[in-house]
Amino acid sequence: MTINMLTAFLTVSAILFSIGMFGALTKRNMIVLLLSIELMLNAVNLNLVAFSKYGMTPSLHGQMFTLFSIAIAAAEAAVGIAILLAFYRQRVTVNADEMNELREP
Amino acid sequence: MGTYSQYAWLVPLFPLLGFIIVLAAGRLVQRIGGPINVLLSIASFVVAALIGWERLTPGIENYVWNDWTWLKIGDFNITLGFEINNLNALMLLIVTLVSMLVQLYSIGYMAEDDRKHVFFSYIALFTFSMLGVVMSENLIELYIFWELVGVCSFLLVGFWYEKLEAKKAAQKAFLVTRVGDTGLLAGILLLAWNMPGHALDFNSIFNAINAGDLSSGVITTAAILIFIGAVGKSGQFPLHTWLPDAMEGPTPISALIHAATMVAAGVYLVARSFDLFVASPTAMLTVAIIGGFTAIFAATIGLAQYDIKRILAYSTVSQLGYMMMGLGVSTTFAAGMFHLYTHAFFKALLFLGAGSVIHAVHTQDIREMGGLSKHMKITTWTFAIGTLALSGVPPFAGFWSKDLILLEAYHHQPVLFVVALVAAFFTALYMSRLFFLVFTGKARKPAHPHESPAVMTIPLIILAILSVVAGFVNLPGSEKFSEWLTGVAPEEATSYVPMIASTIVALLGISIGAVFYWRPKFSAENVKKTFLPVFTVLNNKYYIDELYQKTIQVPYDLLAAFIDTFDKYVVQGAVSLIQYIVNFVGNITAKTQNGQLQNYALVLVFGLIILAAVVIWMGGGAEVWAISGK
Amino acid sequence: MGDFGQMTFESMPHLLTALVLSPLLGILILAFIPSSMGQWLKRTAIIASLLPILIAGYVYANFNHNAGVMQFVEKFEWTSISWTNFYGSQPIPNELHLQYALGVDGISLPLVFLTALVAAMAMFASVLIKKRWKLYFILMLILEIGMLGVFTAQSLTLFFVFFELTLIPMFFLIGIWGLMHREKAANQFLIFNGLGSAILFFGIIWIITTAGFTVTGNTMDISADQPVAHFTDFIPTIADNLNNTDTIANATEWLKPYGLDTTYLLSNSTKWTLFILLLVAFGIKLPMFPFHTWMLRVHSEAPASVVMIHSGILLKMGAYGLLRIGLSFFPEQAQESATWLAILGVVNLLYGAFCAFAQDELRSLLAYSSISHMGIILLGFAANNTIGYSGAVFQMISHGLISALFFMLVGSLYERTGTTSLSDLGGMSKSLPFISAMMLVAGLASLGLPGLSGFVSELMAFIGLFENHPTLTYIAVLGIILTAAYVLRGVMNITYGKLAISTKMADAQLVEAFPMVVLTAFIILIGVYPSVLSGPLDQSLHEWAHWLNHTQAGG
Repeated sequence: MTINMLTAFLTVSAILFSIGMFGALTKRNMIVLLLSIELMLNAVNLNLVAFSKYGMTPSLHGQMFTLFSIAIAAAEAAVGIAILLAFYRQRVTVNADEMNELREP
Repeated sequence: MGTYSQYAWLVPLFPLLGFIIVLAAGRLVQRIGGPINVLLSIASFVVAALIGWERLTPGIENYVWNDWTWLKIGDFNITLGFEINNLNALMLLIVTLVSMLVQLYSIGYMAEDDRKHVFFSYIALFTFSMLGVVMSENLIELYIFWELVGVCSFLLVGFWYEKLEAKKAAQKAFLVTRVGDTGLLAGILLLAWNMPGHALDFNSIFNAINAGDLSSGVITTAAILIFIGAVGKSGQFPLHTWLPDAMEGPTPISALIHAATMVAAGVYLVARSFDLFVASPTAMLTVAIIGGFTAIFAATIGLAQYDIKRILAYSTVSQLGYMMMGLGVSTTFAAGMFHLYTHAFFKALLFLGAGSVIHAVHTQDIREMGGLSKHMKITTWTFAIGTLALSGVPPFAGFWSKDLILLEAYHHQPVLFVVALVAAFFTALYMSRLFFLVFTGKARKPAHPHESPAVMTIPLIILAILSVVAGFVNLPGSEKFSEWLTGVAPEEATSYVPMIASTIVALLGISIGAVFYWRPKFSAENVKKTFLPVFTVLNNKYYIDELYQKTIQVPYDLLAAFIDTFDKYVVQGAVSLIQYIVNFVGNITAKTQNGQLQNYALVLVFGLIILAAVVIWMGGGAEVWAISGK
Repeated sequence: MGDFGQMTFESMPHLLTALVLSPLLGILILAFIPSSMGQWLKRTAIIASLLPILIAGYVYANFNHNAGVMQFVEKFEWTSISWTNFYGSQPIPNELHLQYALGVDGISLPLVFLTALVAAMAMFASVLIKKRWKLYFILMLILEIGMLGVFTAQSLTLFFVFFELTLIPMFFLIGIWGLMHREKAANQFLIFNGLGSAILFFGIIWIITTAGFTVTGNTMDISADQPVAHFTDFIPTIADNLNNTDTIANATEWLKPYGLDTTYLLSNSTKWTLFILLLVAFGIKLPMFPFHTWMLRVHSEAPASVVMIHSGILLKMGAYGLLRIGLSFFPEQAQESATWLAILGVVNLLYGAFCAFAQDELRSLLAYSSISHMGIILLGFAANNTIGYSGAVFQMISHGLISALFFMLVGSLYERTGTTSLSDLGGMSKSLPFISAMMLVAGLASLGLPGLSGFVSELMAFIGLFENHPTLTYIAVLGIILTAAYVLRGVMNITYGKLAISTKMADAQLVEAFPMVVLTAFIILIGVYPSVLSGPLDQSLHEWAHWLNHTQAGG
């Protein structure tokens, strides 16, 4: 039965990841963008938990990492929104296309 | 076991001490540096004399000490030590004695010089190194000191560093002798790998030759390579060009280094490794021919020079050729070494005398001198003795030693005997020309010459006495010196032919000189005009310097410039090209950097997909399927 | 049997770590000194740089000179990564162990001491630096950490980390404090050395994941149910894996059931590839013709005190790496390519000498002279015998001291005259007698005068090379004439002749004279009594030769 369980978890996480990635790549609104990234992170977390339970050498490592990654995701969201606010104050927009300061001048 | 020989290390130690003291104290001992060194060299002469006296004991063993491991790597164990045998006991005596007298003389000669403490420290270092050459018991040790004497010579030739000529001469002296030194080094390398146990000491080489451990090819190659070293140091043709130029150094240096001791080191080297040479007839013939040729070649140049020191320098080259020939034509090194021994005294005497003259008249051109005998009695008399000794007039020292060489040549290489006779004639001729031009006749230039101070004349007198008596140790028929030196009685019967012939050519040379320059019956100028092309060639030293300039220096400069250009443009150009390509590609790819994070992420995702596709297509990742399929 | 496994652990277990990290103390103190207090920064840096000398001296004194094995070894597991790999169809856990390992033997010991010495002398020379002292001295001390680390590291990763650690401070030292074209020089330095490092990194990873494969040890019992494959980056283990026939036999035995025989034992062509990669990577650093152009710029643009370190030590890292990694891992390849190595050496020797002769700038002359002298190291390597290798190591030390002395003098000369051009200078003996005398000594040492250190290394390298390549040796011996020609030309044009610059100048101050005298003292010491180095070196190389012959017999 383990096989099916792992496959099922992996399938769900793959779907989640794809949705998140699609959003991250196509949406112009940065809030949506951040949400999509959260979605991708959660897909990864799901993978970690799934492998830690049904993987070849089951152990608690995967779940521990998931906890880490949730905490980091929270921090990341905070930083992301802070940047977003700062950006909004300067440009009065949340459109990602306007953020192109990284290019070669 | 000798009592004094084991303290032989004291001999070089004293000058080393002098060097360190004077170097460390610097200007503090500017005035007393000379006397300190003279005292120390007297000490070292005393020890050398005691050793020499001890060596007179019949049947005394050679003393060898080589316990100090200088370097030990793998099978190679290079030791430093010293060996005392009759040959180097003699050299110790010569070196310490001449060095002592020259330093005494230098106190007077260099009195005015501001850097005389430097001068004395260099001389002390030279004496130390020269004694090291003499006492070395293996080839590597000899090479070490060999190079050190070379550098001391370089330093002293360039002592007056502001003179452009001195700088050039020093550079030339170093480079030309280094050409020879590489030969010696190559010879050492060759022997190091062919000798059993990589032993390089002279006794092992002797034993290996006797035991037949060395093939004749190796012996000949090694002997000739070592001889190249000797050629460089002893100013033999074709590496003689540095020696006359080296006369730019202070005159006492010319006497000590470039007449009596260092330049004789080449002769000593051949004598020291004589076993190698004797085992190879080819090498012996090479030595004899090079020596003979140099003897006559340099003597002819000496005929047409005007600089008093250069005449003496060419005479030195010629006499060193004589010694080499003496080694090459005979079966023992007695003849060559006997001439080295007498030559050291009378040539040092001549140089010091020349120094005394230069000191008095402040010029080196013999055309500007004349009539000095009235003002400088001691210098004149001692110089006359030196001239007679060099010309080979009996019973002066030079006669006996030259006679021994001529005798050997007469028996073994008749052609070289004739060459040597002609060279002897030229020697007598240019020496009498020099002597009469400088000391007799009228002063050609207004000057107020004066006799040198006692500190300079005493060495002259001592050397003059030695130039008279030094030859008596080895009279034909009772050749005690040869026997003592080589351990075997001379085999050739004494012949009066060379003796008479050499006396005749010497007297002939002097008389011709006298009729031209002392009581002019003929004008030398007329002769010069008649043979103008010959004179020009001789005056320009056969254009050897110009030849080297054209065939070596100029092509070398060009080659260096060419390689430098090659490096600047081709190699660095290739490097710049790579740099340019990197920059070019970088500039193009930088355009994709449009600042849109989402674009970056899109590219990243596509890249990931492609990678994953490749991995799956390559059949990798099978494990993943395997795990999930379990 | 594993000669590389034998080591002695000393009572002071962290001595080498203390040595490598000792410059940190100086950095810490410097960090608290305000950047405007130039004098204090200089004094602190000089004193701080004496600490590594003390520790290095202690290591030297306590080193067992009669044993050639690695000493003062520290070995800890730095990090380990495990994964599963498939040998055939069977999954086997793999573990990659990266070590933190330090140790010295007779080859690295003198280099460690040289590093500490030259770095301290360079600090003295740095009193001539004119700006931003704080950053300068901190960078210099970081550089020293990197150099000390390279010569003591016994694991490939650590070696690489330290090797890279030298690049960054060097880049800024050239780029900020250099002469006119300093930025270009710094960039070229970084590009070339980065390229070399990339190649080196590639090679190192390749080696760790193949030859780092460990078969011996407790966890590697063949009969155990669950075997574990270990990979290590510990240099002695890898050298043992590659060359010890017993180890190779063991590995073959272990791999047989899995149908693998060559993957971890490295096929001949792989060994060749790796050897050439390492040769190029270290050849860039050495530098070897034709990869030398970057160092010409560094020599002529960087401040003299930085060049002292660069020419004195950084170049030796290339030679040392080639010896410690290239030659010790792949001795068969080294033996087979000896002729080519020797030719490369002769080319370096003569090419450098010719170019040096054509220079009109003392710095470029010395740069080419370095290239020429590095040729002698290659010749020693090509000799493939103990005396040749010792010649190479001696040359590293000797050239380190001589070029440090030379650039010390260049710095002092430039400070006074504002030029190092040969045609602008002349007769300096008159106005700067001490500096001129030192320059003459440095020149004589550089051209291999007996009694000074250069001679010993040349002699040994030539003797070593003569065994198998007499003709090339004869050519190389001719090189010493060329060396004399360019050295005399350079030195005599500056010190002899008419005085070219008549401004009154003060001769060397005490702070400049002291390091010159110290360096000269070491040059003379090694020249007069080379046994001071050759003792431990001989022991270490003896171990090495023993195992070289082993390889020869086995292969």
